[in-house]
Amino acid sequence: MNREIIKARSGINKSIRNFFTEKGYLEVETPLLSPSLIPESTIEVFETEYHSLKRKPVSLYLIPSPEVFMKQLIADGIGDIFQLTKSFRNYEQSGKYHNPEFTMLEWYTMNASAADNIPITEELFERIIHDRGKAGIFSPKIDPRHLTPPFRRMSMEELFFEKSGIDLAANLTLEVFRETARNKGYRINDADENWESVFNRIFLTEVEPFLPSDKPLIIYNYPSGIGCLAKDIPSSPWKDRWELYCSGVELANCYTEETDPQKAADLFKKEHRIKKQTSEVTPHYESVLNSIFKKSFPESSGVALGVDRLIQIFTGTDRLEGVILFPLSDILAQ
Amino acid sequence: MIRAGALEKGSAILIKGEPFVVVEREFVNPGKGSAFVRLKLKSPSTGQVLRETMKTQDQVEDITVEDKECQYLYADEESYHFMDTQTYDQFEIPMKGFEDYKLLMMDGETYKVIMWEDRPLDIKIPYKVVYKVTDAPEAVKGDTVQGATKMVTIETGLKVKVPIFIKEGEMIMVNTETKEYVERVNS
Repeated sequence: MNREIIKARSGINKSIRNFFTEKGYLEVETPLLSPSLIPESTIEVFETEYHSLKRKPVSLYLIPSPEVFMKQLIADGIGDIFQLTKSFRNYEQSGKYHNPEFTMLEWYTMNASAADNIPITEELFERIIHDRGKAGIFSPKIDPRHLTPPFRRMSMEELFFEKSGIDLAANLTLEVFRETARNKGYRINDADENWESVFNRIFLTEVEPFLPSDKPLIIYNYPSGIGCLAKDIPSSPWKDRWELYCSGVELANCYTEETDPQKAADLFKKEHRIKKQTSEVTPHYESVLNSIFKKSFPESSGVALGVDRLIQIFTGTDRLEGVILFPLSDILAQ
Repeated sequence: MIRAGALEKGSAILIKGEPFVVVEREFVNPGKGSAFVRLKLKSPSTGQVLRETMKTQDQVEDITVEDKECQYLYADEESYHFMDTQTYDQFEIPMKGFEDYKLLMMDGETYKVIMWEDRPLDIKIPYKVVYKVTDAPEAVKGDTVQGATKMVTIETGLKVKVPIFIKEGEMIMVNTETKEYVERVNS
């Protein structure tokens, strides 16, 4: 492990904390272990057991993101908050941009939409660049312009069409989308190919590898076919969310947060049902759903940002393992 | 059949009846989406390169291969020539798609060749190999802008960036995947 990288990591963490604290966000620390989680059918979680002499063992799960607890604080009216914390995803194979244990920055802005969080993210980048500039540890491998705001903004619809020639708005049903994909030569297995999976198959093959990387890129308005806790944009097939890509790497995800308890309940139910068919570990979700949506959930927008990838990009490090102290792949190889 | 997520570099699979070797494999998992694996595949017979993005759950047809100890004799314009060290049979492997092996293999050395039904699919080059430095310029004093490194040539003809203290005739260990210098080997 390179000492310069450890220093860069420490410096970027400090910039993040200073930035949000000065903006009036409250730093919170929430648990890594939870007895219930927000169900996400595509995320596999780590399971463990809590033992005590007084009661039966309780299943606990390592959080795949701090959302589950931060949203309970927001529901209770805490206001703007941020957190830098470890998150865990099982079955993640160590690789260029993955480690099963990683660091997540998550922040929530009250009375805000996803669009309002774009300038805040730009300011955060400016702050990191400013602070790193002073420290004089910008990697010669990276072109600072690739990381410097203002971010480029493109809608998913326009980007998808530009790169693949596919009009997403004309492919909103699974049957039509599968047929479009087959006509382009994709091997699609009907049994386990849902809309999200056809979308990502094409996105990862024809779009993501060719994303413009001369500036950070915000892709906004994602198809509602990808279920998540972002609000629908009324009278459209899109959800009000964006993702940030830097040098072609997915770095952050932002929603205008869903506030409708019924829509959230429907999503949780659906995701849990899929999860039961596909995963060995299926935490229950009912208590989380009740805690978050027991009263009206505040209008807000949340961003989750992969800190290891951020450090990787800012230091020009080729592999994620290069910025993580004791990456799991190294520990297991010993 | 095997799940695409279980494939590794060097795994061999059949696509439309033709064998392909996995030369690169990168796991990719969108924050909100299924897990995928990006594969770079090469056909050993034609050199054709395929880039496939598969769900890690996708089924692919894997093939059973065996490693055979073979002696590398020489390379001509188009092929690598090998001899099976047990049967003394000679055979060739087309260079197309595997051009960079030329700068990593040493004439007369024994390598493991991956065979499928008597067809050579790939050559296994050890991850780290010790080579002799055959040409090394004298280091220019005071030139530390590049982090005090210089380019040298090793016995296979490969050019490697090394620290300035490396001299001609010395042995160095090279990472054959990244083609980068690892360390000096004292004899």
